Amino acid sequence: MDYKEEIIDHYKHPRNFGDLEEPKISVRENNSSCGDMVEVCGRLTRDGRIHVLRWRGVGCAISTAAASMLSEKVVGMNREDLTGFGEKGVVELLGGEINSGRMRCATLAYRAIIKLFEQ
Amino acid sequence: MFDVNKIRADFPILERKIGGAPLVYLDSAATSQKPKRVLDAIADFYTKHNANIHRGVHTLSAEATTMVDEAREKVAKFINAKTDEVIFVRNATEGLNLVAYAWARQSLKKNDVVVISLLEHHSNMVPWQIICEEVGAHLHVIEVDDEGRLLLTGTGTTQLTGGKLVVTTGSLESLLDERVKLVAVTAVSNVLGTITPTEEIKKLIKKKSPSAKLLVDGAQMVPHMKTDVTKLGADFMAFSGHKMLGPTGSGVLWGKREILESMKPFLYGGDMIGEVRLTGTTWSGLPNKFEAGTPDIAGIIGLGTAIDYLTSLGMDNIREHEKELIGYALGKMEKFEKKGLVEVFGPRNADERGGVLTFNVKGVHAHDAAQVLDKYGIAVRSGQHCGAPIVERFKTLAMARASFYVYTTKGEIDFLIEKIKEVPKVFSL
Ligand SMILES: Cc1ncc(COP(=O)(O)O)c(C=O)c1O
Repeated sequence: MDYKEEIIDHYKHPRNFGDLEEPKISVRENNSSCGDMVEVCGRLTRDGRIHVLRWRGVGCAISTAAASMLSEKVVGMNREDLTGFGEKGVVELLGGEINSGRMRCATLAYRAIIKLFEQ
Repeated sequence: MFDVNKIRADFPILERKIGGAPLVYLDSAATSQKPKRVLDAIADFYTKHNANIHRGVHTLSAEATTMVDEAREKVAKFINAKTDEVIFVRNATEGLNLVAYAWARQSLKKNDVVVISLLEHHSNMVPWQIICEEVGAHLHVIEVDDEGRLLLTGTGTTQLTGGKLVVTTGSLESLLDERVKLVAVTAVSNVLGTITPTEEIKKLIKKKSPSAKLLVDGAQMVPHMKTDVTKLGADFMAFSGHKMLGPTGSGVLWGKREILESMKPFLYGGDMIGEVRLTGTTWSGLPNKFEAGTPDIAGIIGLGTAIDYLTSLGMDNIREHEKELIGYALGKMEKFEKKGLVEVFGPRNADERGGVLTFNVKGVHAHDAAQVLDKYGIAVRSGQHCGAPIVERFKTLAMARASFYVYTTKGEIDFLIEKIKEVPKVFSL
């Protein structure tokens, strides 16, 4: 697997990185095998769509780029859209070439964002 | 003479290409590669001798039984133990859990103390957390210095709270007293390569906690250096066959006969019973008492062959080879470190370190470094190496680890070093 330029770009210049003022919902998710951590927070519209999303975290290029890319992609999505998008969508967003050893990195932020809807 | 090139010819997988590049396998601490002799032994068993053991009078069953008995004798000789003290399990993890469930859970009482170290693999840490919680015992953890060596002496302890357990940390000496019933430590750290001073540990235990048992996690020692359980001073030792040129599914728990005899079985079923009546059952003697069910027969036979191979190379020669490699690698990496390119973790003296080179490329997550190296055919491990607490101790999320074995060459280390230089470039650092 090669690191695509887009991944490096998001890794070095993560989008929507930061926190939100209250009111907000937030979720923290860890990768136990590599120590990566992501904290996402957001606000939903009245009909349950992601209105705004911010995230913070520490991790590798893949988990960071995935969080950054997702933070742009998921705005406007409701829970069904997001589950429909799925982990497959995340892999495609990252250029379609994630080996099995990196799947947990790639999907860390996604797992956190899904949980926003459970809060 | 230790001829690495000749040794390499015995390992078919070393001919593999990874995306066109020759495989540079530097992940033997996770699992070792297998020589053709071991692969042939497994095929030979299934092709010519396959039958269940202890279960039949027919020829094949007798042959299979003899082959397992012979493998047990090889293991016993290899670690200088008595044959019936060698219990076959799946891996080191199962051996450690066997001690936790069949010994500790029966023997420990409220307010007893279990001492482990910060270097432990999760398999020699989590079982003790669980047992301590269950019986109301206390968990004490030996701290390490900045090179990842165990702190043996020194005063002052710290209490950690915030989870289900209250944990006390400090030097071994500060944690020992007559309440300690078990000290469970690794002989070599899989994360940092630290060789722990088991003999000194034993002396301190004898002095301050005479009734404590010593359990040694031998997973990273037995494959790499001569191990003699009579000198180790331990009561139990666990290790995995797959890290010592043997197949997965083969592991060993060694224990002192008197202790094993006093214990209840771990698993119940076939092969471990003496006499079964509907109204009650007795257990067979050692080692069968702890080997319920059909074992990994081919795996055990393969392990026996792996031991033949290791013995033919000579364990002292293997240690010398790896010591030279780690000294060489540390020398090269320390130059990079001075330039601010990498950070190296663990002991800096090759005498105190197994063939495990642990590092991070500055500014790059270990997973990313490992991924870049993979492009050149280099296999290194990255992450927390089933040792989250020790990784955190060094204030990092994850570490990259290159680990060596009998087939590792200096040329491969040179290649690794050369490619480490490429890693930051990928991230335009
Ligand atoms: C020091 C140490 N202990 C225990 C284990 C567990 O070995 P296994 O996964 O074969 O049970 C390992 C494996 O990485 C290890 O390095």
